[in-house]
Formats: sequence, C-alpha cells, structure tokens
Amino acid sequence: MAYRPSRRASLSFEWIHTNITPMMNLMVVLIPLLLTSAEFVRLGVIELNLPPAAMGPEGEVLNSLPQEETRKLDLSITITDRGFFISSSLAVLGGEREGEPSVPKIKRNDNTLEYDFQTLSQKLYEIKKKATDRFSDSENIILMAEPEIDYQTIVSTMDAARSIQVNGKEELLFPNVSLSAGIF
Amino acid sequence: MAFVPSHRKRHKTDSGEVRLQLTSMMDMFTILLVFLLKTYSTHGQLINPSQDLTLPSSVVQHPPELGLDVVVSTDWILVNGKPVERTSTLASLDGYIIPNLQDELLRYAKESEKMEDLYGVKFSGKVTIQGDKHLPYRFLIKVMATCGQSNYPNMRLIVYTNEG
Repeated sequence: MAYRPSRRASLSFEWIHTNITPMMNLMVVLIPLLLTSAEFVRLGVIELNLPPAAMGPEGEVLNSLPQEETRKLDLSITITDRGFFISSSLAVLGGEREGEPSVPKIKRNDNTLEYDFQTLSQKLYEIKKKATDRFSDSENIILMAEPEIDYQTIVSTMDAARSIQVNGKEELLFPNVSLSAGIF
Repeated sequence: MAFVPSHRKRHKTDSGEVRLQLTSMMDMFTILLVFLLKTYSTHGQLINPSQDLTLPSSVVQHPPELGLDVVVSTDWILVNGKPVERTSTLASLDGYIIPNLQDELLRYAKESEKMEDLYGVKFSGKVTIQGDKHLPYRFLIKVMATCGQSNYPNMRLIVYTNEG
C-alpha cells in the first residue's frame, strides 16, 4: 500500500494580507492637505477699544458731563525700571520702604533683575476682592509706563492684570486695560 | 522505504512572492494624521506675522480678527505692507501724532467709509497692530495715539499665544 502523506503537514496557515492600498491613497492625499492648512504658530489678539474721538475738544466734553455720582477706584499700574507702582484714586500702594515700588523687581539666579508678575497678580487679586461691589469700575485698570519700557513687558503686565490662576481656577481681575501716555 | 518529501510542499514554503511591509508606515501616518487634525483650523491664517520683527507672547486666547494691518518693525512703520515712516524718526517727533501714518490711515478710513456708503460694508474701525517685542513704550503709544486719532479706535495688538 502506498504511503499517504500526512494531511496535517499540508494544512499550512494561509496568511491573509489586508489590502491597505486605498487607505494609503487616503493618507497620501489627507496629509499634504492638512499640512498646508496647519497653524504651527498660534496668534492671539489683545483688544483695546478707545472711545470714539469725535466728541470735540476734551476739556469741553468733560465740563459738560454731569458729575460722577458713583465712587471710582481709578486703579492704575505704573511700570518703571525699578518695578510696578500700584495706585488708585485713594492712595498709592506702598512698598516695603518709603519710595520703593509696590512690587519691586526680583533677582533672578544670574543676578539680573526681572519684573515680578506673579506678585503683581497676587496684589491685584487682593485689591479685586476688596473692590468688587464697592466701586463702579472694578473691571478697569489703567496702565502707564516709562518711555523705555519694552512692548513685551507691557503685554506681560496686561496678562498679569487680566486674570490670575487661583487653586487651578482662572479668576478675572481687571480685564479692561487701558493705556495711558502717562509720564513723559 | 524512506520518506521522500513532496516537491509541491517545498515550493509552497519558499514562494517567490515579495510583499512590502507597510504596517509601520501606516502607524506613522495615523499618528501624523491625528496630530494634523488636532492643529487644523477652519479659518486658516488670517494674519501673517511680519518677517523682521518678533511679536511679544501672551496668555490671551482670543483668536485674531481681520482689520487694517499696521506693522511697527525695527526699521519701518507699514500700513497694509506699504512703508510710510521710518521707526527711527519717532524718537525725534514732538507730540503723539505721526503725520505720515495719520495721512495713510485717514486715506484708508475714507476709502472704507466710501465702501460703506456704496456697498454697505460696515466700517469697523479695527486696526491690528504688530509690534516688535523690544519696541519702547514711547513709540508704541505714539502709534496707538495716531490710530485713535485717525478713525481707527478699535485696536488689536497681535501677540503669540502661549499654549497653557
């Protein structure tokens, strides 16, 4: 009797290849499309709206307006090369010594001075807590700066004045920032 | 009799067919696709940052809007890409109004108002200001004062957004 080859040995495992060509076509089309429309640098804007200037000479307008009934805070930050001065219509927030800025610059590791935005936010947060409900303009802040202060410092100060992270939650401080020509 | 292996079976184990291994490439593409879909923005890039300046960075999340484009680079002040004044002349300027910039802005404002009359395109008075991050405050305030006095009171300062 002839020898019968084993059936089990001829039962080879047939490897099924998925046809991924259509998928590849899709990828080849989609990836260049998305690459061209991708935004790698994200831009943002800071809104600053001035009141329209078409109101005639400033002095006349101010005189003809009725007297303010509500109490105003008129909070302002002055950026100097020594640090920030925080002031309101009532008082200037004092530093540790007489004549010192409210928030002085701090020393970095390499002995250069830099602005202390964290402390500024913290102080503004304390003011905000006290000022809410007591003043009509507890959303507004005026920014003044010395002539040589650079743009980045102004923008960072605006950020510090706009909001603060308290316990992982964002709290609004004074979102309506206006710039003042101030000290020249 | 000794066992003779079948010829047919031997051919099967050593088939001449060569297949490309595309699985790892597919993995790569899938990751790329997900990343690109995440960064995809529907409105595209409305504002192209100028070449010869570095914008300041900020934490604001407000998306950019269209407006008249004023660029204050290290050398020139440009309105919609057209240079109007050298930045260095700002230092010797008295007062807050930059005459050349104001002329140009008023010209654009007039054109926009004409457009509003003819076609009903609302004149928003929006101006986007791109400034170098080392621009001193006395220059910035002059540019802003000029915009404010030239029928463009709604200023948008363009900044890089830090992803938090």
